[in-house]
Amino acid sequence: MAAVPSDVSVKRPLPWLGEFLATERQAWIFVFKCMLAFYIAAWLSMLFQLEQPSTTMITVSIVMHPHSGMVLAKSFYRAIGTCAGSLCGVLLMSAFPQQRELFLVSLSLWVGLCAGGAVLYRNFMSYGFVLAGYTAAIVALPAISNPYNVFDSAMMRVSEVMLGIVVAGLVSDMVLPERLRQVLRSAARSHYGHFIEFARGSLGGAIPREKMEEAHLRFVRAAVQLEDLRASVIFEDPEARARSSRMQLLNLRYMATATSFQSLHHLINRLQRNNHPRTAGALIKLYAPVGEALSPPPTESTAPKSLAVRLEACEATLPALAAELREGLRQDTELLLEFDSGTTLLYRFVSELRDFAALEATLRETQGRLKGNVERVDFKRANDYAAPLIAVVRSFLTMITLSVFWLWSGWPFGPSAMLLATIFSGLLATSPAPLSATANTWIGYALGMLAAYVVVFYLLPGSDGFAMLMLATMPFLMIGPYLTTRSATLPGIGGGYTLGYVYILALKNPMVYSPEHFFNDAIASLFGLMMTGMAFMIIPTVIGTEWLRRRQLQQLRRQVSLAATAPMEGLLYRFESANRDLFHQIVQFTKPNSTESRSLLAWGLAVHDSGRAVIELRQDIHHADLPPPLCEAMQRAVDALAHLYDAPDRARWEQADRAVDHAIALTMQTLPQMRATCQPALAHLLQLRTALRDDESALAPYIVKVPETPHAT
Amino acid sequence: MPREIALADALVPSILLVYLGCLLVLWVIDTIVGHYGLYRYVWHPSLFRVAVFFVLFSAVGLLLYP
Repeated sequence: MAAVPSDVSVKRPLPWLGEFLATERQAWIFVFKCMLAFYIAAWLSMLFQLEQPSTTMITVSIVMHPHSGMVLAKSFYRAIGTCAGSLCGVLLMSAFPQQRELFLVSLSLWVGLCAGGAVLYRNFMSYGFVLAGYTAAIVALPAISNPYNVFDSAMMRVSEVMLGIVVAGLVSDMVLPERLRQVLRSAARSHYGHFIEFARGSLGGAIPREKMEEAHLRFVRAAVQLEDLRASVIFEDPEARARSSRMQLLNLRYMATATSFQSLHHLINRLQRNNHPRTAGALIKLYAPVGEALSPPPTESTAPKSLAVRLEACEATLPALAAELREGLRQDTELLLEFDSGTTLLYRFVSELRDFAALEATLRETQGRLKGNVERVDFKRANDYAAPLIAVVRSFLTMITLSVFWLWSGWPFGPSAMLLATIFSGLLATSPAPLSATANTWIGYALGMLAAYVVVFYLLPGSDGFAMLMLATMPFLMIGPYLTTRSATLPGIGGGYTLGYVYILALKNPMVYSPEHFFNDAIASLFGLMMTGMAFMIIPTVIGTEWLRRRQLQQLRRQVSLAATAPMEGLLYRFESANRDLFHQIVQFTKPNSTESRSLLAWGLAVHDSGRAVIELRQDIHHADLPPPLCEAMQRAVDALAHLYDAPDRARWEQADRAVDHAIALTMQTLPQMRATCQPALAHLLQLRTALRDDESALAPYIVKVPETPHAT
Repeated sequence: MPREIALADALVPSILLVYLGCLLVLWVIDTIVGHYGLYRYVWHPSLFRVAVFFVLFSAVGLLLYP
């Protein structure tokens, strides 16, 4: 199959042809790698005289994936999963050699837990759980009628599965690898560039709400994507491993900077809406030097290092400009306060942006060792336990139903059905549309077995030797991986086809031809797959449903309570990262621009804004020496806000508004005596009030009345 | 070195332990090389890594079972 096109074709005058050939090239590289892995695995397992070479090949077909790159990370977790699974299989066998009911119940429980784990850990770890369930089943099920053999059979199965994992890992890592590090580097650079571009573009002042929401969505995606990439790149690239903590810190600074930027713009927007264009104008003027610092003249370099230097220079000039602009404003306490809180935000934003650019600069220095140590931070995932729990129950029920059916009917091919149910209840549990995925997989599986029928009973009997085996099986095998790369249009068919083909082919040395076994096995595995689909019908998935989104939204609002109550140590990063992870999960399955996604975005922004302000305020309470009554008032404001976000309604909004107002009034009274300590706290309180009274935010329906110029004193 | 070692009463081929030990050594080498950024002088890092592993494993294996 010489369909791998050369680069010459790209120069042709037909651009669509070049594009088409580029995607085809990717697909055929994947097919080639799959074939290589398959036949190396088959050859080695026959060379080592393993009992069932087909187990190795099935493992390869489960493990090979077109998203290459995170191979080593995946292999690592898969190897652990296999060991855990086989250990569990042997333990179950030794614990219940005579009690098949207990044995099957505990095996079903194990498989269910593994499926739950696969849902809980959404990244590359999830495959490890799938394999843990699969190995336990494949070790224990065939040995059920012959318990004395279980240890030998377990050793055989583990060797076969491990061989498959190792071969698949080596082939994807060494043959035409797609370096994830390059992807990470270019992603990080493009996100950095985008952000700087966005900050520069807002020079003119206000950004409309929709654009802000769009930008927020992009920042969130970027942060989560960078973390995902980093977590897998450290496995394949020791250089990246040495930089790992630095990259995490960079991500933190990125997130913090984005939040400050958004808060600043909300303030400016609100001032403009409430007919205070002069104050807003003053803030925009104050922002102008930052925009200038971000757009260096074409003669200078745009490298992050020089950008950081320019920002530092700009930072020094800001206080003088702020004082000057403050003089020019109408001397109204309320408006001056708004201006002050805006300047504090702006200072914070600039210093964070400078740190961000400086860190980016050190990361781009690729020569030699990195100097200095950095603070260790950890990206916190926000997990919801409802979806995994449902997956556990569903898989458990599927397995137990199949076991009962098997025990009562005495069906000799029950284990095949159970094995297939194990594999697919783990693999499909993470899918947002499992029913159609199961249907597609079923069709693919049936087609694969049909192809295998032709191969086993017409082509293989006449062949001789390994080369002939390859020739006979390859043409039909190639279809599977090729369809897998087309999973956007035909989801699930490719995977099902490959697995069905390889499973029923059951290559052995010497080959066994037994039509009745073939048909019985085929019917059993299709039945097992069908049972998985039925389980998805009876207990539907919650991933991507409105119910789960509502639940996650609730969790997102609770983030404000977390910000208000959790211990301060490392809270900022925990808040920012968990927030983004959660938000990413929520918006993943909403249609862009629908009312629902609008309201979700609005909530995301509100939580971000208030939560960050709450954290900053709590830092003030802890570190600055504020008089105790002031601290108490602030703490009350923080608590009231957490209370509001827990379950928003009008009464709570009023309560929170009153508490914040009270704290502001008290702070204003003490302000003349201790300006240095009160000023930042006051700014954060004002920011909280801005977020509360923002009539475009998600809290808008709960706002009782919008006091136009409330006199706090 | 004996051909098989009893670990918790299960006979384990000692070459398996050698294999695991070599993986550990490889990991250490990998970390050091990555820390100093020396992979920039290598054409195909993952191939290089596998080759290093083969060298280590064969050397130890040949020393133990001449």
